[in-house]
Amino acid sequence: MKPTRDPRVTLDDLVEVLLNKGAVLHLDLIVSVADIPLIGVSLRAAIAGMETMLEYGMLRRWDEDTRAWAERSTGHRDLEPRAGERHIVHMRGGHLLEDGFQTTWRPGTVHLTDRRLVVMRREPREVLWETELAAVRTVRPETERSVGGEQRTRLRVVLADGREALLSCTEPERLRALLASTCPGPLETSPADPERQDGEAGDGGPAVLEGHLWYHEPRRDGPLWRGGQGRLTPEALVWKSPLDARPALVLPSDDITAVRTEPGRSPAGGGRVITVETASQGPVTLTADEPGRWAGALDSLRTAVPLPSA
Amino acid sequence: MAITVDEKSLKQGVLSLVVTLVEVIQEALERQALRRMNGGDLTEEELERLGDALLELDEAVEEIKSDHGITDSVADLHRGLDEVVDDVVDKLVNPARWAEEARR
Repeated sequence: MKPTRDPRVTLDDLVEVLLNKGAVLHLDLIVSVADIPLIGVSLRAAIAGMETMLEYGMLRRWDEDTRAWAERSTGHRDLEPRAGERHIVHMRGGHLLEDGFQTTWRPGTVHLTDRRLVVMRREPREVLWETELAAVRTVRPETERSVGGEQRTRLRVVLADGREALLSCTEPERLRALLASTCPGPLETSPADPERQDGEAGDGGPAVLEGHLWYHEPRRDGPLWRGGQGRLTPEALVWKSPLDARPALVLPSDDITAVRTEPGRSPAGGGRVITVETASQGPVTLTADEPGRWAGALDSLRTAVPLPSA
Repeated sequence: MAITVDEKSLKQGVLSLVVTLVEVIQEALERQALRRMNGGDLTEEELERLGDALLELDEAVEEIKSDHGITDSVADLHRGLDEVVDDVVDKLVNPARWAEEARR
C-alpha cells in the first residue's frame, strides 16, 4: 500500500469505508392522486465489499457458484485427447439443443479426431455434444433459412442408436467429406438433396428468382418499406418478411398486367422502384438491390402467360 | 473547490477524468481484494489468480497513462478529488465549520 497523507481523507479512503461498512437503501413509495394509490415503488439496494456482503450472509450462493465455475473453466480449456487419439480438424460451429423444453443453437467449436466428433464450448467449458465415430451412420447436409433470410447448410448426423443431431460449422462440406473418409463403419452420406430443398421452400415449383426484396406495404397509417424474402415462381410472386408467419404478398402471375421500373425513393439505395400493376390488387411497389433483374423476370412471366385471345 | 483539468485539449481532459475514475475503482478493488485475501476464504490458486489479475490491471492503467502522456494530469485530478472529499468529510464531521462558513 502506498503511504497516505494523514490525517487528510482521500476519495479512496472514503470508498473503502463505504465498501467495508456497506450501505443499504430501502425505499417504499406510493404515488397517489385524491388518496387513491396509483404508482408503487419498492426499492431494495445494497452496496458493500464482497467480504462484508458475505459477513451479512448476502450473495453467498452466487459467490460460491462464480468461484466454482471459474475453477471448472480455467485450467484445461481445450479438448483433452485420449491416448493415441489424432486430431484432424476443428472449426467454429454449434449444436442445436432440442430437449423438448427449448430449441436453441449453442455455439462452440466442432472438433473432429480419428475417433470422436465433439462440439465443445470453451467458456464456460462444456462438451455440448459428442459421439464416437464408430456410432455415426448418416451425415446429411440440410439447408435452412436463417432469420436474416440467408441459406445456411447444416449437417444432420444420425447415430447407430437412432439419435440425431444437427450441427452447424463454418465449412460443412469439408467436415462432411472428412467425416466420410474418417468414419470406420459404412457411412451413408449424400450431397444436398434438391427435392428436400423444394419441399422446404414451399409450393409452386422451382423458383425463377429468389432473394432479398423490399415491399412498400400499404398500412392504415401510410405505406411502409419492409425488407423480406421474395420468391418468384412461374405461378406467383410471394413475399414474406422474416418476422411474419405467412407471406404478406402473393401475386399470381396471371394477375399481373404490367411491370415497370420508375425513379423513386428506395431503401435499397438504387433510386429506382418496381411498380407492378395487377388486375385485382391495384399497383404494388417493390424494390431490390437489382430492380432491373426483378422487373425483367416479372415481366417475362407476365408475357409467358398466354393471352385469352391468343 | 473547483476542479481544473489543466490540459490543452478537451480530449486529454476527458481521458484523464476517465482514467482517474478507473484508478479510484481499481484502488477500491485492490483494497477489497486485500480484505478477501485476509478473510482466509480463498484457495491458494484463487489468491494467485487474483494477485496476477490485479497486477495486470495496474500495469495496463500505467501503460495507458504513459501512452497518452496524462500521468501528471491524472495525479493532479486525483489529488483534486481527494481534496474535495477531504473538504466535504471535514465539514460533515465538524459541524462547527458550518458556523464558520456562515460567518464568512
